[in-house]
Amino acid sequence: MNVLAATHHIVGPYIEWRAFSPLIVLVAGGLIVLLVGLLRPAAIREQIVPALTVLAFLVALAAEIWVYHHHPRGKAGFCLIAGPGCSSAPLAMDRLALELDMLFAVAGIAATLMSWRAVAPRESGHGEYSALLLFSVFGMSVFASSQNLITLFLGIELLSIPLYILCASETRREGSLESGLKYLVVGSVGSATLVYGLGLVYGATGSTDFATIGNALSQSKLAGGSLGSPMVFTGLGLIIVGFAFKASVAPFHQWTPDVYEGAPTPITAFMATATKAAALAAFLRFFDVAAIGAQNTWAPLLATIAAITIVVGNVGALGQSSLKRMLGYSGVAQAGYMLTGVIVGTRLGVQATVLYLMAYLAMNLAPFAVIVAEEHERPDGDYLSGLAGLGARRPWLAWPMTIGMLGLAGIPGTIGFIGKFQLISALVSGDYTWLAIVLVIGSMISLGYYLRVVATIWMRPPVALTAPVASAGAGPATGPGTGELAPIAGASPEADEWEEGPGAAGAGLAHPQLIFVAVAFAAATIFFGIFPAPLFHLASHAANALTGLL
Amino acid sequence: MQNLASLRVPALDASFCRSPTRPGPFKAPALMTATTAAWLVLLCPIVGTMLIAVGYARWPGRAAGWLATLAIGLSFVFSVIALASLLGHSPDHRQLTSTLWNYDFSAGVDAKLQILVDPLSVFMILVVSGVSTLIHLYSVTYMNQDRGFSRYFSYLNYFVFSMLLLILAGNFLLLIVGWAFVGAASYLLISFWYRRTTATRAGIKAFVINVVGDVGLVIATFILFKHTGTVQFLGVFHAVPHTFAHNSTPIVLAGLLLLVGAFAKSAQVPLHTWLPDAMEGPTPVSALIHAATMVTAGVYLIARTHVIFEWAPTAADVGAIGGCLTLVVAATVAIVMTDIKRVIAYSTMSQIGYMIMGVSVGAYSAGLFHLMTHAFFKALLFMAAGSIIGAMAGDQSLDRMSGFRRALPFTFVCFLVGGLALSGLPPFSGWLSKDDIIAFLDHRGGFFLVLGIIGYAGALLTGIYTFRIIFRAFFGEPSPEARELEHGHLAHAEVPRNPMTGEEEDTDVGFPGPGHFIAEREWPMRIAMGALAVLALIGGLVQVPGIDDAVGKFLDPTFADSKFAHVQVKAGPAWLGLVVGAVIAVIGISLAYRIWIAQPGTSVRVRERFGAAYVFLSHKWYFDELIDFAIVRPALWSGRMVEAVLERSLISGLVTGGTSGAVRAGSAAVRRAQTGFLRYYAALMIVALSGVALYFLLSSS
Repeated sequence: MNVLAATHHIVGPYIEWRAFSPLIVLVAGGLIVLLVGLLRPAAIREQIVPALTVLAFLVALAAEIWVYHHHPRGKAGFCLIAGPGCSSAPLAMDRLALELDMLFAVAGIAATLMSWRAVAPRESGHGEYSALLLFSVFGMSVFASSQNLITLFLGIELLSIPLYILCASETRREGSLESGLKYLVVGSVGSATLVYGLGLVYGATGSTDFATIGNALSQSKLAGGSLGSPMVFTGLGLIIVGFAFKASVAPFHQWTPDVYEGAPTPITAFMATATKAAALAAFLRFFDVAAIGAQNTWAPLLATIAAITIVVGNVGALGQSSLKRMLGYSGVAQAGYMLTGVIVGTRLGVQATVLYLMAYLAMNLAPFAVIVAEEHERPDGDYLSGLAGLGARRPWLAWPMTIGMLGLAGIPGTIGFIGKFQLISALVSGDYTWLAIVLVIGSMISLGYYLRVVATIWMRPPVALTAPVASAGAGPATGPGTGELAPIAGASPEADEWEEGPGAAGAGLAHPQLIFVAVAFAAATIFFGIFPAPLFHLASHAANALTGLL
Repeated sequence: MQNLASLRVPALDASFCRSPTRPGPFKAPALMTATTAAWLVLLCPIVGTMLIAVGYARWPGRAAGWLATLAIGLSFVFSVIALASLLGHSPDHRQLTSTLWNYDFSAGVDAKLQILVDPLSVFMILVVSGVSTLIHLYSVTYMNQDRGFSRYFSYLNYFVFSMLLLILAGNFLLLIVGWAFVGAASYLLISFWYRRTTATRAGIKAFVINVVGDVGLVIATFILFKHTGTVQFLGVFHAVPHTFAHNSTPIVLAGLLLLVGAFAKSAQVPLHTWLPDAMEGPTPVSALIHAATMVTAGVYLIARTHVIFEWAPTAADVGAIGGCLTLVVAATVAIVMTDIKRVIAYSTMSQIGYMIMGVSVGAYSAGLFHLMTHAFFKALLFMAAGSIIGAMAGDQSLDRMSGFRRALPFTFVCFLVGGLALSGLPPFSGWLSKDDIIAFLDHRGGFFLVLGIIGYAGALLTGIYTFRIIFRAFFGEPSPEARELEHGHLAHAEVPRNPMTGEEEDTDVGFPGPGHFIAEREWPMRIAMGALAVLALIGGLVQVPGIDDAVGKFLDPTFADSKFAHVQVKAGPAWLGLVVGAVIAVIGISLAYRIWIAQPGTSVRVRERFGAAYVFLSHKWYFDELIDFAIVRPALWSGRMVEAVLERSLISGLVTGGTSGAVRAGSAAVRRAQTGFLRYYAALMIVALSGVALYFLLSSS
């Protein structure tokens, strides 16, 4: 900063309010929701508050789209608080940030719809619950658009703290409390690790700004200077660990299945999609911009971590009986897939990661909506065995679940296939073929648990409601379920119609908002699997926002 | 590296491959572009399939059938629009491609969801969608009481979609997709009555032989891609003369492998044995897939890739000889078969032999013209046969049919029209089209003249076997069923039986339904058959030597680059050929008359005199036995060997068992590490963190 200018008169920071509008909407929405939640009538709290929350997300979404389209030509993006030139602003609303913000808003809407009439907001207060959700999305937006170590850390804390509370929001259920506490402890360790790493990097490069750090690292690489210092390395290592916590990357993933299983399902869905996207965005921002000069040093390590993640996530998901736990492990594996795009460090890689984030959102939210719907009706709604006969019982839930599973497995015709294809393509062209092979092997293993869900839905006769097979604790799931499946061969489409139970037809409309979420995201999974072009456009715009890539 | 930003979805407009648009000689109604219409042609049947499949349990009554018919009818309408739109372009600009989506993200494969709309593809979609509409209409009644009604129409629409995709594909990849899809649809429909063992076995046989063809097609595509670097039709065809030396090994190999695909799909010797067995499917399926459309895909393939065959004359000659061989073999077998549908099936093989021979020697418009007329009269013959089978309560044996002329007058007229067209009697359509091919062969002379003469011999046999059916089924003493029907009662079998084996069946799902339908009484069947009868009668008049040449002129732009494009048989020799063909047909028919009407019992005497030949023919030249001995048994034997030696110990034990064991152990390990206690998590975290730090320390020092 110019010292002379500062001594003459104090110049306030220039804030680009237009670009800031989505963030303002989120915060303002959060405050309004919090206040409205104080009103006495139950109807207002239970109906108006979620409606206002959805409205806030929609307005934020609209603002994001508006900013997206009024993008200054030829520039990477708006700088919210401009310093001299966009490169040193603490926050940038570039297209990568905006697209991720849209993703967060969509996940927020889905989570709000899933929470409607759920236990968690009732127990912890509707206003507070929804406001925390909005604040968390605000934190994610800050995180995803940060250009500076300080805003990066602010972002991660802003997004995490509401989530700690939200995880524990079913205050009368032990599992939820346990989940919140675990997340708090582990998350704090992660944050501490991260901030330590950030501090070391600042110490070594003398700047908190990503671009300046990037320059310092690149130049020192030529001069043989600070890049070789253990300080930078230790810093980078700690940052990797910190991010890995948030993105639930193995071997820092262990909180994930426990927290996912214990947290209220809408919050699990939200964490699985939005938080993961935010963490991956941080990876992209930091490693593919600030630390790109040191790619040779961190990329092999991250590649190893990604490979471990893929294997551990997929292998761990096998034989889980709780669907949320299974999706937790599956999320670990998927984080590993997405991390590979970061590692390549090319435009193609960034593009593939962003594309996969969008795909992952759609493919994951549909199954979660189905689980929420099942949990409303059955004590074993979260258990694989509870899905038996869902195809006959509730086709409107069975199909989204099936499509979601096929998408996550990467079956052609779904966006999951396109996403994986892009990642593999980026890996191969970036000389990481071995990692691509690991990814493919991981996908092969993943069929073992995704298809089990599909088989249970369609090929097992419905079972009567029973008590849950295991208490919703964090203990290890027992034994891989290797029960025999009904034979497929010789099945007759006309002869095998299961008798539909009484009221089965009407049951499909019991929770229209859940069905809507499930069907909408399943439809998106299929639609973009066949016509992925719009997502390609978005992803390539996002990749172009990161300058300095190959 | 591909820049993915360049991936785009172009609008559904035509991109002209040769030059920008220019108003054609006469303006077509500008409803939509030809390519848009072609995309809609594809869309209708697939939407139909999905709608029927999704609601299969809920469609009331016959709704699924009408929906399917409507879908294909719309497809036909859009085909006509595509034709009109294409005619609006000048002949030089009638090759349009349209790409809906570009899949080329890797390895330089220009994989596109792309169609090619040119006269050839439009000609084919018109034939396919037109005939399919009529057969759908016929099926609505024919399958009326079958428990699998909705499933049937879902499959049938899927078949039409696959066939149209095969035709409209703009590159080899999409062609392979369509090619495999029709194989799958054929399998599904042959085995439609899946509780009949004969039907399921026939389905498997057809599928396996078709896959042999698929493999040939795929390898041929690979060879072409390897040398030309593209899979687009137009790109490959453009590159072939520059890339390959004339008649060099790779291009001949590609041509031969394409022929493997074509022969398997079109049931040509020696890959023909599946087609007679495919008659296990419902009769409308035989009419649509195994007579009018799918089996002609090989003809289409050769015509589409004619550039390759003209650059590899050896392969083309092999194709011509194969077609010629098939037409004789099939015609001889048709004379001794007693199952009415199998006779017509062999006749189909024989007629496709003509077409394959035609397009292999360069008689493209003649071959495709015969494809069209054959689609009309062969579908008609199958439908009429279906009508008789309905009257016979499912029995298909010619031995038991007789004297249906008075009982089934409408069917009789239709069968007669179809039979006359098939035999090639003036002025029926088959006469003009078949002799068009032979005239071209004679015109090329030399070795082709021999093929032409064999073609005439086949025509003689055609007349005999066609009228064998007519004389046996419609003339003579009425059979009990025919007599019943004359009194107004439709015969019903006491116990439904498999017509091949005589096994008892029920009429539940997986077997034919309880109803039997005859064309005389059901208006949808009458309409379908009547329309085809008219087409079989006059459909040939679009191309009469010396008078008009509509098919040839229309197809000309597709074959403009062919060296045979301007080979024209003069009207004089062409008419001479037609007269010879007509005379041969008359001879054949009169021979049949002598054998089965004038002197009944001749056939028995002939059979006794030439016992060895009869046995040889009734065993269908022992092709099944030969394939069984030469391929199936060795394959089975080696399969058992490998299963016993390799599979059990090595693959199952070590590879699969080892892998799944490792995965299982890993799964258990991960779950064991997941204790639920934070202190263990912290411990692991510290270990991992140390690992990260250690890595950096090691790499920095």
